[in-house]
Parts: sequence; structure tokens; C-alpha cells
Amino acid sequence: MPVEFKDYYVTLGVARGASDDEIKKAFRKLARKYHPDVAKDKKLGEEKFKEINEAHEVLSDPIKRKQYDELGANWKEGAAYQRPSGQQPHRNGTSRHGPADEFHFGGTGFSDFFEQMFSGRGRSGYSPQGNGADSEPFGERGGDIEGDILVTLDEVIKGAVRDISLQSSDPLTGQTKNYQFKVRIPAGVREGQRIRVPGKGGEGSGQAVPGDLYLRVRLAAHPDFRVRGADLYYDLDLAPWEGVLGTTVVVPTLKGQLNLKIPPGTNNAQQLRIRGHGLPKGNNAGNGDIYVVVDVQLPKATNDEERGLWEKLAHASAFKPRSDL
Amino acid sequence: MKEPIFPTETSLMLVCVTEAAPRSYSLADTASLAGIHPEMLRYYCRLGLFGESHAGLEAEWIFDDDALYKLRQFENYRRTHGLKRKTLRFIFSLFRDIEILQAELRFLRGS
Repeated sequence: MPVEFKDYYVTLGVARGASDDEIKKAFRKLARKYHPDVAKDKKLGEEKFKEINEAHEVLSDPIKRKQYDELGANWKEGAAYQRPSGQQPHRNGTSRHGPADEFHFGGTGFSDFFEQMFSGRGRSGYSPQGNGADSEPFGERGGDIEGDILVTLDEVIKGAVRDISLQSSDPLTGQTKNYQFKVRIPAGVREGQRIRVPGKGGEGSGQAVPGDLYLRVRLAAHPDFRVRGADLYYDLDLAPWEGVLGTTVVVPTLKGQLNLKIPPGTNNAQQLRIRGHGLPKGNNAGNGDIYVVVDVQLPKATNDEERGLWEKLAHASAFKPRSDL
Repeated sequence: MKEPIFPTETSLMLVCVTEAAPRSYSLADTASLAGIHPEMLRYYCRLGLFGESHAGLEAEWIFDDDALYKLRQFENYRRTHGLKRKTLRFIFSLFRDIEILQAELRFLRGS
């Protein structure tokens, strides 16, 4: 199935040779503008946020970016992307009776282009033979299929119901079938977790039951936070004197902003924990934490007055960072 | 455990509503959904193959969607590719390592 090519560099507004840092900055700037929580037009914001996330997902990953750049070199304006012949669809159900059906998802938060090119690579469906307690006497159970679903941090907190569409096509007959259904994303899902949707996989043969659909959670990148389990990490830029003397800063959380006191003598890379402001852990186990990671930024250029003050400090200070050498 | 049946009769557009399955399953339900005997699943648990999913005592074994997915994968490799349990145990430990490393990479890249 041909799909429209996506120019991720245009989406993020960066040059093709942009550095990782430039890509990260462009993503953060756009993500802050179009984040569904702050965008004036919610629907437009949501669509743009998904596009930006997808572009970031590809361009921030060196392997995906290389693969994408190689395709981009062969792509011509107006042409549609078609999977090379012989390359298997990334999401398929297996069958022992013939070629596997192809499946295409909608409503997962990823474009058809991304789905075909990157998603689910190497993860094919499977169909366990039922010779155990739940054997199928008249046929073979349908294969399971797997797809990714993009979930925002807001959806992790509140849970969500998503409209998913699934198109299956039989390569032998060319017959396609379309299905639409709603899937509940429970609050507290974590990155990589699979959500099973019973009976939405490949059809079984004979009277056997169909397989299941597994949706693998991919957390949408957030402009402010990195996610590890239920904990959030926020990189806080500090001036050297703020670290030495201490200060009070405003830190974002998913429920609003709060003031955080930076104690005097706070070092670079030091982590300050804000308890209970992370993501829900699920099963009523409370919330994770926010870790504020201090990133002391040095002034790049100084004028004569500033240089003089730094020199004065250098002479006056007893601080010797290499005293143990 | 009653499973919703997916319509097998063809139509141009079928619209139905479903929800994600319950997030945890008993040992008997998990075995049934994976098409194996409960005793086989107990055996796997005793071997430590799916040990991370249970809560200690045999009677309290609980499995989530991830565990069910892995169990089905495991059975598929064993039955269709003839891989031995010892080999599969090694392969699955590699899968787990890869998932952990991929998650760490995403974290470090700021995703």
C-alpha cells in the first residue's frame, strides 16, 4: 500500500545536516507550542504534536535517521513511498496455510508512513498450536498481531479511550476488511507495556478463534521531561553562582508549576527529588517522583568587567578541584 | 474466562467496541489463553521462566498482558521451531536485556 512520504526535517524546521542538539531544541520549541495541554486549538495541537513526536522519534535515533535519510535520497517530489518488493510488512499475522495477511493501523498516533517504515520491525505475529488445555478441535487459532500506540503523559495519568482502525488485506485474494473499535488505555501504563485486545488479531481457520491484537505503548516525548518507569527527569539549567549560593526556581510538573529551593553548594548533575509528582505506578501503588537534574551552565563570553570578577574570584577562592591528584 | 469473539464473516466495515483485556490473569486463565496445560505453566514458573510475573506463592501467581505475550511467543518458538527450553530461556533473557537497553537509550536521548 503506497503511503505519502513525510519530510521530518520540514516538520521540525531543521536542516538535513542538523545536529542532535539542534533537533532536540527544535522539538522542544515546537512541542511546547503544540502540546495538547497548552495549544489554543486542541485538535490542531494534538495532530501537530503527534507529527512533531514522530519526526523526533525518527531523527533523534541515529539508526532510524540513517535509514530515513537513505530513503530520502531516493525519494522524488510528489512520489509516494512503497515498500520495496520482497520486504515483509512490519506487522503481520502468520499462518501456516499461506502468505500472511497484511495489517494496517489507524488511530495509533503514528502515520502510515512511519508504520510501514519503522514500526514493529521484526516483530511478527504468531499462532500457538492448541494442543494443551485450550486446544482447537476444528482449525487453528488466528495469529496474534502487534502494533505500537503513541500515548501522551497526560493519557498515562488520566487513562484514555482511543479509536483504533485496522485494515487487513489478504495477499492471495486482494480482499480487504476494515474494522474500527475503541481501546481503553489504562492509567499508569509504562513505556513498552503491551495492552492486549482480545479477538482483534488474525482470523482463525475453520471454527477456531481469532488471535489477539497487542498494542505496545510508546510514550510521546515531552518537551520538559524524560521518563524512566514512573519517574520523570527534568534538566534544570543553573548559573554557577546559583549552584554555589543557592536560589529558588520555578519547576514545571504535570499538574502545574511549583517553587523549588536549590540549597547552597548544589553541584552539577546533582539530583533533587520532588516526591509523588511523577506518573502513576498503576494498581493504586501511588505515583513516581520528579528528579530535577542540575545542569550548571557556564557563561560563554564575558566582557572585561565580568572577566575581572572571575579573576578576582579565582585568586580569592580556596577551591582546588584537583587537590587529590 | 469468556473471550469476545471477533466476527469472522466478511463485511466492508465492521464497527464494534471493545476494551483492553483485564490487566492481570490467574494461572489457569493464562494457561488457557496460551493454549497450554496449567501444570506446564507451573513448571515454567518453577524454572523461573516467567517468575517475574508472579507474586510468590503458587496460589497467587498472577500474569499480565506482557507475560501472556511472552508465554505465547515462547510456545510458538518451542513448537514451530523446535527450540529447547534451555535455549529459549537464554534467548528470552537476551530479549529482556535488549528491551532494557532500548528503554535506556530512549531515556538518554530525551524521549
